[in-house]
Amino acid sequence: MKVLGIDTSGYANAIGVSDGDRISGDAFFEAKTDSLEKIVSNIDYVLKEAGLCLGDIQGIGVGLGPGSWTGIRVGVTVGKVLAYSTGKPVCGIPTLKVLAYSAGDTSALVCPVIYAGTRDTVYAAFYRRGEDMITREGEYYVGSIAGLIEMINEPAIMTGSGAEAYRHLFEQKAVSSGFAIEVVESGLSGAMVARLAARRFGRGESDDALSLEPLYLKESTARAFVSRYSAGAQAKGEGG
Amino acid sequence: MDSLLVLGIETSCDETSASLVADGREIFSNKIATQLDLLNKFGGVVPEIAARRHTELIGYVIKEALDSAGRTLNDVEAVAVTSKQGLIGCLLVGVAAAKSLSYALQVPLIGVHHIEGHIFANLLSNPQIPMPHVCLTVSGGHTMLVYVKDYCQYELLGSTLDDAAGEAFDKIAKFLELGFPGGPVVDKLAAGGDKKAFGFPRPLMRANNLDFSFSGLKTSVINAFKDKVARNEKLPLEDIAASFQEAVVDVLVNKTLRAASMRGVSSISVSGGVSANSRLRQVFRDRCQRQGLEVFFPHLSLCTDNAAMIAAAGYARLKKDGAADMNLNVLPNAPFEV
Repeated sequence: MKVLGIDTSGYANAIGVSDGDRISGDAFFEAKTDSLEKIVSNIDYVLKEAGLCLGDIQGIGVGLGPGSWTGIRVGVTVGKVLAYSTGKPVCGIPTLKVLAYSAGDTSALVCPVIYAGTRDTVYAAFYRRGEDMITREGEYYVGSIAGLIEMINEPAIMTGSGAEAYRHLFEQKAVSSGFAIEVVESGLSGAMVARLAARRFGRGESDDALSLEPLYLKESTARAFVSRYSAGAQAKGEGG
Repeated sequence: MDSLLVLGIETSCDETSASLVADGREIFSNKIATQLDLLNKFGGVVPEIAARRHTELIGYVIKEALDSAGRTLNDVEAVAVTSKQGLIGCLLVGVAAAKSLSYALQVPLIGVHHIEGHIFANLLSNPQIPMPHVCLTVSGGHTMLVYVKDYCQYELLGSTLDDAAGEAFDKIAKFLELGFPGGPVVDKLAAGGDKKAFGFPRPLMRANNLDFSFSGLKTSVINAFKDKVARNEKLPLEDIAASFQEAVVDVLVNKTLRAASMRGVSSISVSGGVSANSRLRQVFRDRCQRQGLEVFFPHLSLCTDNAAMIAAAGYARLKKDGAADMNLNVLPNAPFEV
């Protein structure tokens, strides 16, 4: 099954194509402030390099984020509208999961980390490899890097751009705790998104194209403010 | 290109809209999902929240536009999208969707300036509007006087130096705690008020140019309100609304008529959200009739942001300039040019 994979969560267009477990194309186009401009041209380029056209694609995988809010909106919108307009199935794949796979074949705890755009705040999650797939343990984490480091109480492999950015802190934690904490270099990969989507298609799963949404993990500042305000007002009301 | 079915997409602010228009004239469907629930909650448009809502709705709205017109994706012959002027995060969603459709369906992609869309809203409702004419396009996001020489040929005559007229309505309504958007509530409240009760200023009305300014008027209204409160006097909300609305209408009508006289045209078109205001329509009609001018307004459903006007403008642009490049990008602050 030929699957197109797109991830625009990290200020880039990561686009790839997989065919079964084989990777037919995987390219990373930097797009610092602009994941929109060349997204379709880049998709077309990767398909053509693989000797394919959009009509040959049998399914679409989309990295849902978290990451750049604008970035994931572009990728998810392109993924869902391409799926809708070609009539092909689509699968959303959390970007943290994609990054977890880049730890390779390990039985250790894997913790992908993505910088969340505000000072020392990160998105993260913990994954462990089971028999044939990686599964997330617990909830997604959004918070300070210090808080995340406190949560690591066993040997772990850190992946993602955030792991690289805070490498020194993880190394300090390794020394102070005595656990082997390794930082593995890893980046976004459209081909990995495609492969993970292909596995879901293989299990008979897919997402509804029209309702597919990014995984923001964080409310916008205004909504968070209103939520806090109404929670406070409610609490006051109950007290009075 | 005798008959062409254009799918229009508009997401420049808080409305997610998709529409099918044939030949830039006949509206097959015009689906608009508003964010009124969010706007009321937050007292206005919050760009990040609006962009998230667009992402949620865009696919559904496109599908509804097709379904309600009894058409399928295969019938779409071009895709037009608002790519210029608006909130960047919101524009991005529409353009991402339009590019994907254009690529998948192998049909031309057209980028449209939001203001040009509003000019076409009027041409869609009134195809008989003569060329050239003067168009006042006025909403919560812009206030502009445009000399429309011909289809897709414009000259910007004047615009607001600060707040848009609709923005002044919104801010006054917010201050008076009347809800959002301000236009319809102020219009309704003003109907029962005395428009001469307060002598609010008519900013730049006598100035020797065609620009607008509404920020000082807004402050003046707020000060008048506070003054009443400080004196413990009865608050005649209806009178405040009517006097404020009259000041805005006065400025808009006077400047538009002056623009028409300067350009020697006998036809005026008024578009944008504020063109739905009942008092503005009435004063324009009265004054134009007295001066032997014709005035045109869009159908009420085409006053606020909608994709039908984008599809119509896109059709004209396609004929004039051809299709856009697949690397079409958003230009949130693009000036309105010829």
